[in-house]
Amino acid sequence: MSGDVTIRIEGLWKRYGFPIPEALRKGISRLKRKNPEEDGLWALKDLTLEIRRGETVGIVGRNGAGKSTLLKVLAGVTAPTKGRVEILGRIFPMIELNAGLNMELTGRENVRLLGAIMGLTRSEVERALPAIEDFTDLGQWFDKPVRMYSSGMLARLGFGVAVNVESDVTLIDETFSVGDLKFQNKSLARVKEMRESGATVLLVSHSLETLQFVAKRGILLEQGQLLADGTALEAINAYETLVFRSEQQRLEHRVRSRITSEEVNIFGARLYDRAGNTLTEVPAGAPFGIEVDLRLNRKLERPMFSLGILNAAGILCKWNISEEDGLVEKGDCGRYLMRAWYPENRLANGAYEVHFAVRNATSFETMERIAGVVSFAVVGKLRARGIVAGKCAWELIPVDEDEIASGLAKGDARVSGTR
Amino acid sequence: MSTAVYVNMGQSGREVSRFLSLLWALVVRDVTSRYRRSSLGMWWAFLQPLILMLLFNMLRGFVNIPSDGIPYVLFSYAALVPWTFFANSLSACGPSIITNAEVIKKIALPREVFPLAAVCTALFDFAMSGIVLAVLMAWFAVHVGLALLWLPVLICIMTTAAFAIGLLLASLGTFRRDFTFATPFLTQAWLFVTPVIYPMSSVPEKWRALYMLNPMVGIIEGFRSVLLRNASPPLEPLVASAVMTMILLALCWPLFRRLSAYFADVL
Repeated sequence: MSGDVTIRIEGLWKRYGFPIPEALRKGISRLKRKNPEEDGLWALKDLTLEIRRGETVGIVGRNGAGKSTLLKVLAGVTAPTKGRVEILGRIFPMIELNAGLNMELTGRENVRLLGAIMGLTRSEVERALPAIEDFTDLGQWFDKPVRMYSSGMLARLGFGVAVNVESDVTLIDETFSVGDLKFQNKSLARVKEMRESGATVLLVSHSLETLQFVAKRGILLEQGQLLADGTALEAINAYETLVFRSEQQRLEHRVRSRITSEEVNIFGARLYDRAGNTLTEVPAGAPFGIEVDLRLNRKLERPMFSLGILNAAGILCKWNISEEDGLVEKGDCGRYLMRAWYPENRLANGAYEVHFAVRNATSFETMERIAGVVSFAVVGKLRARGIVAGKCAWELIPVDEDEIASGLAKGDARVSGTR
Repeated sequence: MSTAVYVNMGQSGREVSRFLSLLWALVVRDVTSRYRRSSLGMWWAFLQPLILMLLFNMLRGFVNIPSDGIPYVLFSYAALVPWTFFANSLSACGPSIITNAEVIKKIALPREVFPLAAVCTALFDFAMSGIVLAVLMAWFAVHVGLALLWLPVLICIMTTAAFAIGLLLASLGTFRRDFTFATPFLTQAWLFVTPVIYPMSSVPEKWRALYMLNPMVGIIEGFRSVLLRNASPPLEPLVASAVMTMILLALCWPLFRRLSAYFADVL
């Protein structure tokens, strides 16, 4: 297999800035009274990776994980600090395609400019111009100065040129997030075309759905290191777990600093399974419960608890009120474990956050409200996404078109597709 | 220094043609976009040296500057055309990397193309003001001849000198903006040690050798003799210019190459 390796990275380290010899650098940091061993400045740490011809690799990671740096080093935009990078083939970075646009020039003039920047010769640009004009779908705007363009139109211009550049390895960074849906689909189709034609594609996108559909392999970067390398789905799952863990650490810190309310104290919250064991990840479809450890410092005639579950996009997926679900206990002063059991888990895969509130049902005053009292991830093997999980029953029913036509002619009001 | 290797084996042998296409596109961009929103448009390319010439003529009204028996308008303008090119090149090269930061941060290109494009854009203005000079020469009925064949040589040395110093300013200016701010003062000072408003003959004999180390001396004097006296350029200053230009290029280009690998990091 080593014969068709396109990209080989061995022990790649990258630190931004002009490389100063190690001894001198240590001397300088000592002068500045900083820890000379401090390595927080490394954007990439000891990265080793092999990418074979024809692979479509999605790169995931949080902000500052080193995704863009990796693409920049591969593109040759910035030099590696240590290590070896080998690329066998022509590399083309589709990174922010509007770099180099001049606002005063027309679309057509800018296409010539962008084409040259992206490595096309003059004759190649002239040959591709009609195709680009067609692809960008700008009509009469094509000959107007680009300062009059909308951001979507600008994006189309850059992408239109980029798809006409032939390369063995294509690097894509967040190019899909621009433009309208029609244009996004066009772009996606183009990436699939490249994949099918045997080109190697590396892409960074915050849209996990896109990655899932386009990429076959996935790698997860965290603080400049390779954390996971496998199928796209494995990498995405690892990424979501990572995001969830760090989110949880942040929340734990926040919750601890939140126990200041005089009337209600909240000591902690957890998720548990049927056996009562604490969960950090909920298997897709498995029932689970949420437990909140709290103390009431005021006697409440009718305490009312509410639990909301929000997904990573901040959409409220589920919200329950204790009173409506039949909890009518009185609340004397004292410490409690409030438990809510979710027998039907219809949450889709992803990261979630729990919002918790205590109210006085007689006066409706809010005693305590915590956003993100606990968070968790729902993990499953299936790729289906959305807000609500669950399989649906699919069918593919062959239909005789002639029959429909004759049925319509007779005034048959039958709706096709239903039985 | 630790080992860092970047190997790209995807070169297809069309690099030269790509480089020239890119250079052309950048020059077209600079030339067409620069004047697009000004009312006078391209006329600025003519106006710039014309205004300078008028200023120096006014100066001559107060101070007596020798001009080797040539009408002062011609004498100064023939020198101002190459000088304006040189000064414009330097001021455009310094920030050429910074103004193209968006491109340099995204795509690997031979970075020399940006200062070179700045020089070529200045060369366009040079051609424009050359037309004005031709008209002026026709007006004064200057006799020209075979000496004009020296022009390509002079232009070649002049462009190379501007490119070499431009590379230096671009590489330093990218790391520290101070160099870009200092460039106008540098060119001002340089103007006074170049025979633009005065002839080289007014420089004392004992300083001549030192004076000729300035690569612009041989070029400007060359332009004057070729255009106004129909004579070959004075050989000594011309050779000094060519040698100095080569030395500058041999020093500045490797420096630029070395620093340019880290341009993307500091932009």
